[in-house]
Amino acid sequence: MKLKINGEIVDVEVEESMPLLWVLRDELHMTGTKYGCGIAQCGACSVIVDGTVMRSCSLPVGSLENMDIQTIESSDAAGTLSVLQEAWIEKQVPQCGYCQSGMLMAATQLLKDIPAPRDEDINAAMTNICRCGTYNRIRAAIYLAAERLAQAGKAVTIK
Amino acid sequence: MAEKNTKERSSLSKWTRRGFLGIGGLLGLGLVVGVGGLAYVGRSIKKYSGKGMGEGASLNAWIRIAPDNKITLAVARSEMGQGVYTALAQLIAEELEVNFEDVQVIHPQAESPYANTFLSTQKRENAFTGFGPMGKILSFMPVIATGGSTTVIDAWEGMRYAGATAREMLIQAAAKTWDVDASTCKAELGFVINTTSGERLSYGALAESAKDYTLDKLPTLKAKSEFKIVGKPVQRLDIPAKVNGTAMFGLDYKEKDMVYAAVKHAKITGNKITGFKNEEEVLKLPGVLKVVLTEYGKALVYADNSWRAMQAAKSLEVNEEGAQVPDMDSAYYFGEMRRIADEDPISVRIDKGDVQGITNEDVQEGERKLEAYYEVPYLAHACMEPVNATAIMENGNLEAWMGHQAISVAETMLNESSGVAKDKIKINITYLGGGFGRKGEPDFPRLIGAAAKAMQGKLVQMIFSREEDMKNDMYRPGAVCKMSGVVTQDGSLKALQANLAIQSVERQALGRIVPLMAPAAEKAKTTLEGLDNQAYNIPNHRVSFGNFETDILVGFWRSVSYSQNGFFQESFIDELAHAAGKDPLEFRRNMLLDQPRYLNVLDRLKEMSNWGKQEADTYQGIALQYSFESIVAQVAEIKKMGEKEFKIVNYYCVIDCGNTVNPDTIEAQMQSGIVFGLSAAIHGEISWKNGSPVQSNFHDYQMLKMYNCPKITVAIMENNEEPGGVGEPGVPPAAPALTNALFKATGERIRSLPLSKSDYVFV
Ligand code: FES
Ligand code: FES
Repeated sequence: MKLKINGEIVDVEVEESMPLLWVLRDELHMTGTKYGCGIAQCGACSVIVDGTVMRSCSLPVGSLENMDIQTIESSDAAGTLSVLQEAWIEKQVPQCGYCQSGMLMAATQLLKDIPAPRDEDINAAMTNICRCGTYNRIRAAIYLAAERLAQAGKAVTIK
Repeated sequence: MAEKNTKERSSLSKWTRRGFLGIGGLLGLGLVVGVGGLAYVGRSIKKYSGKGMGEGASLNAWIRIAPDNKITLAVARSEMGQGVYTALAQLIAEELEVNFEDVQVIHPQAESPYANTFLSTQKRENAFTGFGPMGKILSFMPVIATGGSTTVIDAWEGMRYAGATAREMLIQAAAKTWDVDASTCKAELGFVINTTSGERLSYGALAESAKDYTLDKLPTLKAKSEFKIVGKPVQRLDIPAKVNGTAMFGLDYKEKDMVYAAVKHAKITGNKITGFKNEEEVLKLPGVLKVVLTEYGKALVYADNSWRAMQAAKSLEVNEEGAQVPDMDSAYYFGEMRRIADEDPISVRIDKGDVQGITNEDVQEGERKLEAYYEVPYLAHACMEPVNATAIMENGNLEAWMGHQAISVAETMLNESSGVAKDKIKINITYLGGGFGRKGEPDFPRLIGAAAKAMQGKLVQMIFSREEDMKNDMYRPGAVCKMSGVVTQDGSLKALQANLAIQSVERQALGRIVPLMAPAAEKAKTTLEGLDNQAYNIPNHRVSFGNFETDILVGFWRSVSYSQNGFFQESFIDELAHAAGKDPLEFRRNMLLDQPRYLNVLDRLKEMSNWGKQEADTYQGIALQYSFESIVAQVAEIKKMGEKEFKIVNYYCVIDCGNTVNPDTIEAQMQSGIVFGLSAAIHGEISWKNGSPVQSNFHDYQMLKMYNCPKITVAIMENNEEPGGVGEPGVPPAAPALTNALFKATGERIRSLPLSKSDYVFV
């Protein structure tokens, strides 16, 4: 079957019931997306599918043909993800780092949906588990990225 | 795409560690440096290979400099989020005199210079200034491990000497080149400068000749006031790779044509798998290659994909036997522990004054006596990354990739289970997706050795499903503690008694990991930590312990004994403060009047938390614990939202950990410890039914999340004391600070965790 991952079409031969997570990790060796629970509880496996954050451990790959799948490996120079990544570094967010791909995916979609989120929006969108407890810094980094994106947006508008 | 993302494995045929000894050389052949010198015993066996450090010349076991000035540092401590790669690099780089941005870190092999001496001896010693008798013995069988919040304590002086001696060797080499006296040269940001002529030579140009120089005395270390890197919040070296998915964890090493092995354990705690019921059917499932029963009573189901392997392992039906108490429920375990807590203890650790006399008799006029039973459940580590390991055994060699906390343990276990000699084993320690003590256990390196041996010539990636991980942990033990105490009429603590019933972690875990070092239960020193080593001045004080033995495996869980004992002690101290009619902060303060560091911590906390001045529906609780050579005090601030519904608004945390290496990391570790402690306090419980753990995944073993995580504010005391630990000390005060705040809010004293069992909800 054909999948569109980070803008690239790839061919995989697996049963339709195999969750996307394992196609990414074991078939395509795209290891940025992580396995944490396998039951849609932790968010370590989060990816963005057609503009929605999804938990790839619970997403049969058969349902994804012709859909746009975005993972942490995607590059979007100066886009939302890379602004978030910079903010993540600036705020020194990750500890063990294992949850952070999923966190960044969730944050990317959050800022696309709600460019100026409030605390409640962050709480509602960021439902992933971080066992290392980096929540305070994640929140700070999201605010920083939102600010940066807003400024960049303004700069463009003024031009 | 598959190929594009496949990392190339170093060729095994090129690998034997012996072959590299020529490059790394012997330690300590020089008089003092190269490294260790006179004080360093057994010099002839102090070898390091420099394997994995890339091009260039090794100045000692920790530092290699390439001709292009690339500086590679060996840090034999596992990076599990606590920032050790960065912290140790900071210590070395400070004295080496290099730009911090120019260094990179690798985890070396299990070689003797990298032993964690403080972890084994509790002595602040290093190879440069010399070891005491125990340190000398341990350098022959080095424990290379990351745990007990010891990394910086152990490295504080030694790693600065590693940098300083290398710098001096580079200066000597430059002086020789210019034919000038070394005292006219100085080192600066990766160059040696001839102060007379102004000439400069880069470290890269000097390293090859510098490596053969020896020093006749140890250089003087910089004074704290001269630090440029140590004590500064430099950015962590591991973070860039952790925001773009490229950081390599144990499950991330991939090759073409690799295979996967899902682990299956017996269902009943204490049982071993003895055979299979439906092997034939399982072998027919998609992708399944092989089913193996290991000698450890655990099964491996091999397939061409992790998911297929895990699905197949789930459907594998097994025969099992061996448990001592095969059908027990939690009620049995806690019944036993309650009985033990009431009995005469097997081990009395503190016996000061006349506690029994005081607490057994009717109290004097005006005095108050309190007695309470406290209880905590078993807890799983639940590292975000489930237990796993990857290895290939080929032509008598073995190469492994895993996030283990102790490479020396991993090496021993791989050797034992695969039969491959230690000098034919190479271990790549990856980043750990959480460790918390779980990843120092021997079970998974032992199993991957067996897994690779059973499928030789193939790279095998072994995985515990989350369910296997959670149900087969080495848990933080459940415990019961009987506390009693008497307060006087004037409101001070007259007597305190604690009798703890618990499975001894130290005895059991060391028995698994380093059997030679495992003490008898009654001799286990650490079991009572948190109760027997606090600073309070208590005139009559008795602390004792009764051992409970059962099939459940218990292990080191972030902050170990402090994790429960801190809750017992700090909750009960709070009870006594209220019984005495005293402010809980002042009550504690009054027992610490001769302890200036504690008083400073409490005063700072009082100020930053605005202690005692809250709005009507907001309540505070305080807790204080010394642990791992650091002092941490916290105030929890909660807001009442409904009957038993609260919002944890703030945590204020003050730590005195002496001299600091990276304050930003310390702040992060305090935040991390508090969240870890709160997850346990609010939700954490592993219980048993019919012999099996009930909880299996994050739906029934829940964590604090973004919405209910408080804002955590951290202050770090400034002083010039010896460094203490930071990875664990944030955990112990977190639970009692919260339950003490709840008492203020509701009048209900929480003596049993988790809070979810008492119907508290945190929004
Ligand atoms: S692994 Fe998918 S939500 Fe946890
Ligand atoms: S950084 Fe470790 S789980 Fe989030």
